[in-house]
Amino acid sequence: MLSIENLKAKIDEKEILKGLNLNIKPGEVHAIMGPNGSGKSTLSNILSGKKGYEINGKVTFDGENLLELETEERAHKGIFLAFQYPMEIPGVNTNTFLKTSINAIKKARGEKELDAIEFLKLIKEKSAELKFDEKILNRQLNVGFSGGEKKKNEILQMSILNPKLSILDETDSGLDIDALRIVSEGVNSLRNKNNSFLIITHYQRLLDYIKPDFVHVLKNGQIIKSGDFELAKELEKVGYEDFN
Amino acid sequence: MQNELKLNFDKIISLNNFSDSQKKIKQENFNNYFEKGLPNKRNEDWKFSDINQIISKNFDNLNFIVDQKKFFEEKDFPLDFEHNKISFVDGKLYDFDFKHEDKDKILVDQNLDLDDTIYQNTLLNLNSAFLTSVSKITIKKGYNVKKPLILFNYLSDGLKSSAINSRVDINLEDESSLCLVNFLNENSEKNFINFRQKIKIGENSILKNYNLDSYTSENIKYFNKDINLSKNSHLEYFILSEGSKFIKQDINCNLDDEYGSIALNGIINLENEKHHEIKTVINHKKENCKSYQLIKSVLNDKSKGIYQGKIFVSPEAQKTDGYQLSRALLLNESVEFNAKPELEIYADDVKCSHGSTSGNIDENSIFYLMSRGLSYSESKKLLTNGFLNEVIEKISNEDVKRLVKKLSGINV
Repeated sequence: MLSIENLKAKIDEKEILKGLNLNIKPGEVHAIMGPNGSGKSTLSNILSGKKGYEINGKVTFDGENLLELETEERAHKGIFLAFQYPMEIPGVNTNTFLKTSINAIKKARGEKELDAIEFLKLIKEKSAELKFDEKILNRQLNVGFSGGEKKKNEILQMSILNPKLSILDETDSGLDIDALRIVSEGVNSLRNKNNSFLIITHYQRLLDYIKPDFVHVLKNGQIIKSGDFELAKELEKVGYEDFN
Repeated sequence: MQNELKLNFDKIISLNNFSDSQKKIKQENFNNYFEKGLPNKRNEDWKFSDINQIISKNFDNLNFIVDQKKFFEEKDFPLDFEHNKISFVDGKLYDFDFKHEDKDKILVDQNLDLDDTIYQNTLLNLNSAFLTSVSKITIKKGYNVKKPLILFNYLSDGLKSSAINSRVDINLEDESSLCLVNFLNENSEKNFINFRQKIKIGENSILKNYNLDSYTSENIKYFNKDINLSKNSHLEYFILSEGSKFIKQDINCNLDDEYGSIALNGIINLENEKHHEIKTVINHKKENCKSYQLIKSVLNDKSKGIYQGKIFVSPEAQKTDGYQLSRALLLNESVEFNAKPELEIYADDVKCSHGSTSGNIDENSIFYLMSRGLSYSESKKLLTNGFLNEVIEKISNEDVKRLVKKLSGINV
């Protein structure tokens, strides 16, 4: 589904990714762990099309050259990024935003857009699944949301948009145990043979709930080791500093 | 243009049956204008909007004598709520309808009682000199007007290069309330419109006043407003400034007695080469009054927006709360926004502040929205609409709020 070959990325002349390789097949859950500054967020930004990077290498998504697509086209094709720091959008009602988003994607795919009633039904169902207080959806998007509410809102969006590839950029940072469980349940409920996940994290904690199929260690812009869930446990013991 | 103007003025005097004192006031105002001309940028109040230059750029000649032809079409305005209305044609009272109200509680009249002040502002000289009538609306003591009152301003068909002078005086007697919508959407192209409104809000009375300029037109407008607030009265004021080629709204509010309060909010939303200014003066004259102002601007293409806001606190006005905030989004390099906040405070026990920010749209927010499937332009639109919507949400009359959302297309 996603294939990354020898990906290099620079920002302001500083090389951040130095030849990264990764393959994700449908239905797989991959975790990328790494210390601060190793290039984790850069990778998620590049996959979702953020501007400002000088990029070399090859990235394909369902056989298509991903790097040529605009951010919104990637969303239309089924890539979703749960932000580490979701943006606050003043004056925009969360429900209005969710409806605009899902219908933009449906329209691009040539599917029928949801009317108000269908949309409300979907929202009710998904909010209940994620134990998400619906009242929050009548507030301005992420404005005055707590850290946990913002992250849960990301997961709600993910679950509504039902993407093929979900990238979670340190979604676990700043979450309490209950919120962490809800986020994990959100991911697990979307898991099926078609949907894949790329979970970026510092800690093993989230992975205990999600149980990824593969764990990769990112250090200095490269994946230095790949393995299964046991690798995460080993990392937690040894620490990034001494891990080679 | 000057000689023509003098002929126009003499004609106005000879055609109408003014009293001697009226003639005198008119003549003095005219003389002051004739001597000084239109305000220009050397005048501090007109620093950012040189009306002299704007008028001469837009009009070869201005006709000051307007015959009321009464041929105009009522536009299909998107009004889906019950309302009262007064129609003005070419600045003069034409018709009114208060079908939702007690008839003896509202007086509508027209006469020519001018103040004997000779204004320093030469646009007001011009207004006084060429007015042939002043419309007066009185809300009687203790009456709460049930439905919003909409003031429609129509212009005769085919009218162009004309100067329209209009004046409406509104008096809310004590313990009354009114929701007043100034619909500044004329059905014409390219005229110079010089409006003046003088409002008095009586004790314990409430005025909600919404001023909506939203239909694109080539008109050049000046809207001057004096509002006096009595004891324990409240003013909610809202401005939607986006339609006209040029409009300056000059709003002077006087908190004449204790416990008065003002919430003044506005939107400047411009494209093309439009040039809009909001200038406010809030005069805190007595103790325990409050004023809040929030102006948000979004500027696109080669437009120009200005907010000049002054809070004046007299020595007697202790325990004053006076706040103002201006925020502007500049969508490209060729727009211009000027903010000039002023605080002039002579009392020592007050809470006052002002703030002004202007900047680009946040690219990280755009990226966030695009990652959810919206295109760049849709994301930008949603962000700017959200930015402006925060001001619209402050409108307390739900019918008017809906109208403003419809007129502006801001619905998020």
